Amino acid sequence: MTLLSSIAQKIRADLRAIPEAIADWGKKSRYKIDLYRRGKIGALQLIAPVLATAGALVLVTALLFPVYWIALAALSGDGGSLYSASGFKLLPDGFNPTLLITEGDLWMGMDLSAFVWVIGDLVIPSLRISIPLTGLSIVTNEIVLFEAANYGVDNPSQFTHYAWNSLTVAIPTVILAMAVVVPASYALSRREFLMRRKVLYGYILFTQVGGGLGLAMLIAVFAIFAELGLTNDKFALAVYYAAMAVPFNTWLLKTFMDSIPASYEEAAVMDGAPPWRVVWEIILPLSKAGLAAVFIFVFLTGWMEFIVAQTVLRPENYTLPVGLFALIDEYTVPWARFSAFALTFAAPLMFIYLFAQRYIESGLSFGGMEG
Amino acid sequence: MATSDVTRRVAAIEPPRWVSDNVGLFLVLPGLFFFLSFVAIPLVYLIGLSVTDATLGTMFRDAPGLWGTVFGEAQFVGVENYASLLTDSQFYRSFGITWLFVATSVVGKVLLGVGLAMSLTHSWVRGKRAMRALVILPMGLPAIFTITVWRGVFSSAQFGLANQLLGAFGIGSIAWFNSRWLAFATYNVAEMWLAYPFMVIITVSALQNVPTELHEAAKVDGAGFFHRFWHVTVPAIKRPVLFASILTAAASFQQFLIPFIFNRGGPARANELMLLYGYREAFTSGEIGEGSAIMLTAVAIIGLFMIVAATKGELAEGAHG
Repeated sequence: MTLLSSIAQKIRADLRAIPEAIADWGKKSRYKIDLYRRGKIGALQLIAPVLATAGALVLVTALLFPVYWIALAALSGDGGSLYSASGFKLLPDGFNPTLLITEGDLWMGMDLSAFVWVIGDLVIPSLRISIPLTGLSIVTNEIVLFEAANYGVDNPSQFTHYAWNSLTVAIPTVILAMAVVVPASYALSRREFLMRRKVLYGYILFTQVGGGLGLAMLIAVFAIFAELGLTNDKFALAVYYAAMAVPFNTWLLKTFMDSIPASYEEAAVMDGAPPWRVVWEIILPLSKAGLAAVFIFVFLTGWMEFIVAQTVLRPENYTLPVGLFALIDEYTVPWARFSAFALTFAAPLMFIYLFAQRYIESGLSFGGMEG
Repeated sequence: MATSDVTRRVAAIEPPRWVSDNVGLFLVLPGLFFFLSFVAIPLVYLIGLSVTDATLGTMFRDAPGLWGTVFGEAQFVGVENYASLLTDSQFYRSFGITWLFVATSVVGKVLLGVGLAMSLTHSWVRGKRAMRALVILPMGLPAIFTITVWRGVFSSAQFGLANQLLGAFGIGSIAWFNSRWLAFATYNVAEMWLAYPFMVIITVSALQNVPTELHEAAKVDGAGFFHRFWHVTVPAIKRPVLFASILTAAASFQQFLIPFIFNRGGPARANELMLLYGYREAFTSGEIGEGSAIMLTAVAIIGLFMIVAATKGELAEGAHG
C-alpha cells in the first residue's frame, strides 16, 4: 500500500506542478514584456522563446501523432479514416462536449462500439461447489457483468480469452524469475566472491544481445519444445521467459540494492543480527521499490513477448500480442476495431511501465551512461 | 567500496572460511544455472542442427540410436550449409541490406535523438520538462503495438495515415511495401520511432551535465552557434552518444519484428534482414539446417560487434561497483 500511496502522491505532485508552471510562465513573460517596453531587450529576445516553444511543440506533436491517430480511429466506431469527404478531421466522429452537460453523456457522443467489441461479454460462469461428506453442493448463478449484444455488437473479439492466456503465462514467469533473481542480486550487490565480476559482465552483455540471441536460438528452442511435446504448453513458455528475464532483472535489482547505504547493515551486524536477519529485515524492506519494478518488468516480459509465443502457441492458447498480430491479416476486421484492440492492450502497459520507471528513478542511475 | 567492509564483518561471525567467502556464489548459482541451461542447450543444439540437412519434415521423424532421437532422420553434412551460404545470392543480399539498415537507421536515430534533446533542453523553450516527459512516452509501448501501428500508418488501404497525408497535398496513394526502397525507408522510420526515446534520455542527461558557464564563456568570446555546438556541446555529449549508438546499432542489426510484420522482408525477399532470413529459411522453407547456419552466422557477427564495441566503447562500465 505504501507503494500505491507514494505513486498517488507523485501524481498529485505532478498535477499541482502544472498550474504552478503556467503561473510562473505568465509571470516571467510579463516581466519580459516589461523589459522590452523599457527598451532593455530587443524584439528578437522577446519573440525567440515563443517561436522556439512553438517549434518544439510542433515537433513533439508530430512525433506523437501516430498514437493520437490510433486513438481517433478506435473511437470512430466502424470507419477509421482521418480523411473524409469533408476533409481532415482531428476529432472523433460525433464528438460534442456539450452533450456532457445537456445529456449527461460521459463520452460526449463518441462511438465506443469498437471498444465494446474488444471487451466482449464479461461473464462469471456458474460454479458447482460440492461440500464433501454431506453430499450437498452449491451452484452459483452465472453472473453477467457486461454483454456486448446489448450494445449492438455481435461476435466480440477474443480479447478477454487472450488476456487470460497472457496472465497464465505471466504469473508463473514472475514466480520463477523472482525466486532466482532476488538472492542473486543481493549476493552481487553485497558479497565478494569468485567470478562475481564475470557473472555481472556476462549479464550486462546479454541484456544487449539477448534479443538477437533469443531469436537466433528460436529454431533450436522450437525444435526442443517440439521434441519434448511442449509446443502449445503455456507453462513451458513461462519457464523459458523466466530464464531469459534473469540477466536484466538481476542487474536492475543489484543496481537498486547498491543504493542502500551499507551503514544500516553494519549497525545490524554490530547488534549481533545473523546474516539472514540482515537480509530479511533490512535489505528486502529497503528495496521494496526495486522489487516492485523487477516484478513489473518480469510480468511484462511474459505479458508482451511475441515472437516465441507466436512460434510455439496454437490459436486457443494465443497470448495478447499474438492475438493482436493475428488481427492485422484479418481483412474482415475494421481498422477501428483493430485500433481499439491495440490500445486496450498497450495503454495500461504504457502507464505501468512509465510509473515503474519513474518510481525507481533514484535507484536506476543508467550505470555507466553518465559521461 | 563499503560492501567489502560488511563482507569482512559477516565473515567474522561465520567461521567456515571457504563457504563463507563464497556464500554469494551459492546465491547466484541457481539463477545462473537456470539462465545458462536455457541458453547453452539451445545454442549447442543449434550448432548441431547447422551441420545437418534437417528439414521440418525429417527432423521430427524418429530414427534409431542417439543421433536419431536428437536429430531424427537428418543426416550429418559437415559444413555444407555454411559453404552453400557463400554461394547463395540471397545471403549476400540479406547481409548487405542488414548493414545498410544499421547504417541508415543509426544515423537517423542519432540525428533525431540529439536534435530533439537539444531543442528540449534549449533555454528558449518553455515547458521543457513536460514536453520531455511526453516525448518519451513511446518507450512504454510494447514493440508489437508500435510496429503494427506503423504498419497501419503505411498501409495502402483507405485508412493509411501516410497516404492520407499525401492525399491532403493532392498526391495519390503509394503502395509503400511494394517498392524495395520505399519499404526500406518505412523500416527506418519505424526503427527511429522505436529507439528515439532512449537516445533522448541519454542525450538530455549528458547535455544537462554541461556547465552553463562554458556556453556563457564561449558566447563572451564571440563564438557563434555552430562554433559553440562543435567545441562545447559535442565534446560533452560525444561519449554517451557514442555509447548509445553502439547499443542501438546492435539493436538495428537484430531487428526482426519490423520487416516481419510490415511485409515479411519483401517485396520479393529484397529486404530480409539477417534474422528474418534465417527465420524464413527455417520456418517458411522448412530448411532447419540452413536456417540454423544463418542464425549462427548472425550471432557470430553480433558477438564480434559487441566485443569490439565493449573494448572500444567501454560497455563494461556498467559492471563497475
